Formats: sequence, C-alpha cells, structure tokens
Amino acid sequence: MSENDAAPLVRVRGLTKSFGSNQVLKGVDLDVMKGQVVSVIGASGSGKTTLLRCVNLLETYDGGSIQVDGVEVGYSDVNGRRRPRRERELARIRADIGMVFQLFNLFPHLTARDNVVLGLRKVRGMDRAAARELAEQWLARVGLADKMDSLPIELSGGQQQRVGIARAVAMNPKVLLLDEITSALDPELVGEVLTVVQELANDGMTMILVTHEMSFARDVSSRVVFMDAGRVVVEGPPTEVFAAQTHERLRNFLARIEFKRS
Amino acid sequence: MIDIMLKGLPFLWQGLLVTLEASAIVVAAALIAGVILGVGLSYGSRWIAWPIRLFSDFVRGLPLLVLIFSIFYMLPLTGWKVSNFWSAIAALALFETAHVSEVARGALQSIHPGQNEAGKAIGLTFGQRMLYVVFPQALRRFLPPWINTVVDTVKGSSLLALVGIVDLMLSIQQVIGRTFKPMPMYVLGALMYFAINYTLSQVSRRLEARFAYVRE
Repeated sequence: MSENDAAPLVRVRGLTKSFGSNQVLKGVDLDVMKGQVVSVIGASGSGKTTLLRCVNLLETYDGGSIQVDGVEVGYSDVNGRRRPRRERELARIRADIGMVFQLFNLFPHLTARDNVVLGLRKVRGMDRAAARELAEQWLARVGLADKMDSLPIELSGGQQQRVGIARAVAMNPKVLLLDEITSALDPELVGEVLTVVQELANDGMTMILVTHEMSFARDVSSRVVFMDAGRVVVEGPPTEVFAAQTHERLRNFLARIEFKRS
Repeated sequence: MIDIMLKGLPFLWQGLLVTLEASAIVVAAALIAGVILGVGLSYGSRWIAWPIRLFSDFVRGLPLLVLIFSIFYMLPLTGWKVSNFWSAIAALALFETAHVSEVARGALQSIHPGQNEAGKAIGLTFGQRMLYVVFPQALRRFLPPWINTVVDTVKGSSLLALVGIVDLMLSIQQVIGRTFKPMPMYVLGALMYFAINYTLSQVSRRLEARFAYVRE
C-alpha cells in the first residue's frame, strides 16, 4: 500500500459507535500512512463524518481502537481497563490533530490573525510576536495576506474556510481532518478552498477528508474509502474505486452524485 | 418639604452607603458563584447539573423575604454565630446566585456548539475554551440580564431593613420616626434608589452596543 513498512500514522480498528439504539459505526478499520490523503465518501448517514469526529474525539467511541502516531486517542489503558482520558491528556492529543469544519467554526470575536494565533499562544506556548508571524505566514499562504485584521463576519465563506484551514495547519498537526469543508460554500467559492487543500497535499500533509466532491477526491487522494451503513465497503486507489464500480451500492451512490451534478 | 429633605439627607446618606456596600458584596459573590453554577448547568454531567438545577429552582421559587427570615432564624439553630448583616447578605447572595446562574446558563447555551468543538480541535483545555472562546462571546448575552439582577439586588437589599440593618430603607424610616413626615423622606429615598438603578441600566445599554460584532 505504501512504500515504507512503518506503522500507519492513523490506525483505526473495529471502531463501533451508537447514538442511542442507532449503531452508526459497525466495526470500521482504516489505516492512513504518513503523507497519505484518504478520502472518505458515502451517502449521508453512512457514518463517515462520525468516523472523522471520532479520530479527535469530538465523538466518543464505544468499541475498537483509534491510534494516532501510536497513541490511543480516547482512552488510556490502566491495568488492562479502558479509562476515558483526562481533559489535559485529551487536549495534548487533539493539539496534534487538526480539524477543518463544514461550518468553519471560526471564533467570531477574533480577527483572522487572532483565530490562528490563539492556539499557537495558548496551546503551543509561543510568544506573541512569533505566533503573529507564523499566523501571518499561513494566512498569506492561503491567500489572505490582506485580510489579517478582518473579523470572520467581514469575510466570504471561502475566505472564512481558508482561515479555518490556516488555523488548523499552523498548529503543525500530524494529521489534518477535513469534514465536508466545501459543503456550506457557494459553488463559485469551492475552487479557492480546494486549491489550498491540493497544495497541502502536494506538501505531504497527511489528511483524511470526508467529501462530496468526487472529482476532487479522485485527483487529490492516495486512497478512497467508500462507507455504507457504518462499514467500509470498498477501498483502494481512486482510479480503481471510481472506475471498477463492481460494488452495487458504490455504483448507485456514484450514479446519484452524477445525477445531482447534471 | 425641601428643608426637611436637607435635614434628613445626612442620615439617608449613611443608609445609602450601607445599601451600596451590601449590594456590592452580594453582586460580587453572586457573580462568581452564579457563573460557576451556570457553567456547571451548561457543561456539567448530570451529577453536577442536577443538584444545581434543584438549588436554582428551589431558591428562585421562594419570596426573597422568606429566604431572608429563614436564614436569619435558622442559622442560630446550627450554632453558627453570624451577625444580622451577614445573615441577610447570605440570603440575598443565595437568591441572586440562583438568578445569575440562570442568566449565565442562557448566555452560555446561546453559543454554537461548534465554537467549543473548534476550541477542542486546536487543543484548548476546558478552562481555556471557556476563557478565550466561550466567555467573550457569551458576555454580550450575559450583560443585559445580569445588570437586571444587579438592579434587583439593590432593590432587594431594602428588605435588609426588616432584620434591623440600617440601610437606606431603614434610615428613611428612622428619620420619619422623628419628623412624622413620611412624604419628603420617601421621595428622597425613591430618588436615590432610582439614581442608582437608572445609572446601571444606562451602563447596560452602552455595553450592549459595544459588543455587537456578530450579525443576528
């Protein structure tokens, strides 16, 4: 699957998760090697967003295991018993897992720059000048050099989402989670955000993205994972997954997406 | 009428200072305790939120006067030696704490859950998320109703007179006890209460306008 035989950076095994009586994840396995871009596709309700949110424990999981760089995310092992992680441990683990949200979730009371600075100062412990400089570098890289002092409300959706990306990658995460980051955008703003993601991929950022942008998933991904009803049903290189279409549910799903397009 | 007011003024002034002192103590205590309880209500597990809910609903369901007398007569039974002043302050503080906790809960719950998630995602701890993400945004929702509780505190402090504390209310009555002319003193006292509370509501209005960075 990958050139090196090293352990995967993100290793999901037998992941289960229920909301009440509704089991949304029914034993999911997923490996993401360092530098890989993995796209998770599937119909809404297939569990793909829940899977993503479990990786940085925005959702707790019931069973199975998620390891990021060899560390179990949600639980520590105390004499063979699972104990939920303390707030501080969890914060330290999350600091190394970036996330970009569908609805941006920028801090509305802070400027674009301060949205990025906050984590650098309070989590990474950088001094003010260094944090500002790094924040400005990243904002410039996502094309917002002239928007440093703008409040989120003064930015377009595409600009807000690029601040969201800068805020996540400035923390220098081991892996970046992207949760349908273009779904809330006007169609003409999707491109500017995807361009930034493409550049991150070229730079070797490890990413897991949940997306409905099939052509983008095909272009950017090292692997595509198709989920259905809480399970990974098909996975492989994008060319195979999109071309083969041997699996009926995948075929139907892709047909529906194409239909919506045209 | 004016000359009676002028003669009574120094006595009322002393009372006013007591009213302000008592109100300030209660407001500070209720702010700290109320915000902590409001955080517990909004983010605590059931085992934290449920007792707070019980406390808040119970205390808010009592007339303030009943609460003041209950604590005034019950505290001595526990063997605790507390002055009238502090017993009444405690009652008023409990009452306002319950109200502030509801104001804080409402303000905190008005913040979109995505804000907390974004804070988590960059590795902020719970305390940091409250301090840097949630509180600054909740402030503008918190301030106007909170200032109402401050106004209620100043007004409610007039009940301190009933357990013998010489606040503005009781000093009014004491002056009337000597002059036998109730009208001038009550008018003067009312003006003093009004001056405090009107100032507060003006401050509230200013603050509200200052924190309008989010489109609604």
